Amino acid sequence: MRAPTGISELDAMLHGGLMRGDVTLVVGSAGTGKTTLALQYLVNGATKFNENGLYITFEQMPSQIYRDAASFGWNIRKLEAEGKLRVVCTSPPVLVQFVEERNPIDAMIAEINAKRIVVDSISHLESFIPASELRGELYRLINHLKMKELTSVFTAESHEVFGNHLVVTGVGLSFLVDCIILLRIVEIQSSLKKALTILKIRGSDHDKQLREFEITSQGVKVAAPFSQYEGILTGAPRRSMTEAFTEAFKKGKRI
Amino acid sequence: MNETGLRELSEKLIGTEIKAELLHLFHMNPGILDTVESIARRVGRMPKDVETEISPLVELGVLRKERFGNLDVVSLNMSKDREIQKKIAELIEGSAKK
Repeated sequence: MRAPTGISELDAMLHGGLMRGDVTLVVGSAGTGKTTLALQYLVNGATKFNENGLYITFEQMPSQIYRDAASFGWNIRKLEAEGKLRVVCTSPPVLVQFVEERNPIDAMIAEINAKRIVVDSISHLESFIPASELRGELYRLINHLKMKELTSVFTAESHEVFGNHLVVTGVGLSFLVDCIILLRIVEIQSSLKKALTILKIRGSDHDKQLREFEITSQGVKVAAPFSQYEGILTGAPRRSMTEAFTEAFKKGKRI
Repeated sequence: MNETGLRELSEKLIGTEIKAELLHLFHMNPGILDTVESIARRVGRMPKDVETEISPLVELGVLRKERFGNLDVVSLNMSKDREIQKKIAELIEGSAKK
C-alpha cells in the first residue's frame, strides 16, 4: 500500500510512505530542496526498495543532476547503466504528448519496469500550455500515470519565499494531486531554516507538525518539530505562549 | 581508405561548430528527448541552424528523430553511437599503424 521515500522521519510523518499509485506534489520556493527530495525518493526506490524510477527534468540538464547527485553519494550514471533509473531531459510540450499511444517515455517505463516517476518541475508546464487547457492536460497526465500504477512525485515552484500568502499553484493542481508536501524557508532568531510539513494526504492520516529539515551530505534529513514557535508559515514566527511562560519562569520574571 | 574514411566520418560528425556542440550535448546528457526548438535553446543557437546540422547526424544514425504526437522528437541512438565510436577507434588505430 505504501511506497517509502527512504527518508525515515518523513516516512514516519507519512505513516509509512507515499500511498502507492498516488501523485504527490512537493511545493517550495527556490533553494528549498525539492529536487534533492525528489531525487532521493527515486534513488532510495532503486537501491533500497527494488523499485525502479524515471526522472523527468525540463530545465536542469542531466549532467548537472549527475554532478549534484554525486555530492550526496548517489551514482545516477551507475543506476542508469544497471537499468534501475533513467533521467529524461525534455520539454513540457513533449511531456504532454506522453499520453499518446506508443511514445518513448512509456517505452522507457516498460523497459526498466519503473514503479516511481518524478516530474521536475510541473510549474514549467504553465509557460508552455495555455492557461485554459492546463488543468485538463494535468488531469490527463495524472490519470495516465495512475493507469500505469506509478507512484509519482511532481515538484512545483512557489513564488513566495516568505510571507503569509501561500499559493500552492495557480491552476488548482492542489485539488488534482493526492498528497502535498510543503517546503519553506523560515526565519527564526535571524537565521534561515528550512521547514517541511504535509498539507494533505487523500485517504490517510498523517503527521501535521511543521518540522525543521536540512540538506546534509546524505540528502534530506528531517528533524524535530518547531514546537517552540507559532506562526512559522506566516514568515513572522513568535515564541509559543507555553515556551514564553517557561522561559520567563526560569528567569524569575513576570510575562 | 583509413585516413580518408576517418576524415569523412569526422566531417560528418563534427564538421561544424554546431554539430560538435550537439554531439557534446548528447554525450553529456544521453537522456535528452526533445524537439529541435528546445535543443536549440539548450545549446544557445537558433532552431533553423540546429535543424540543418541535426539532419546529417540523423542520416548517420547517431541521432534519432521520431514523430511523437504532433512533434518531431530527437534523441541519441546509443547503440549506433557506440558502433560509430568503435569505428572511429579502429580507423585511428589503422592510421597510426601506417
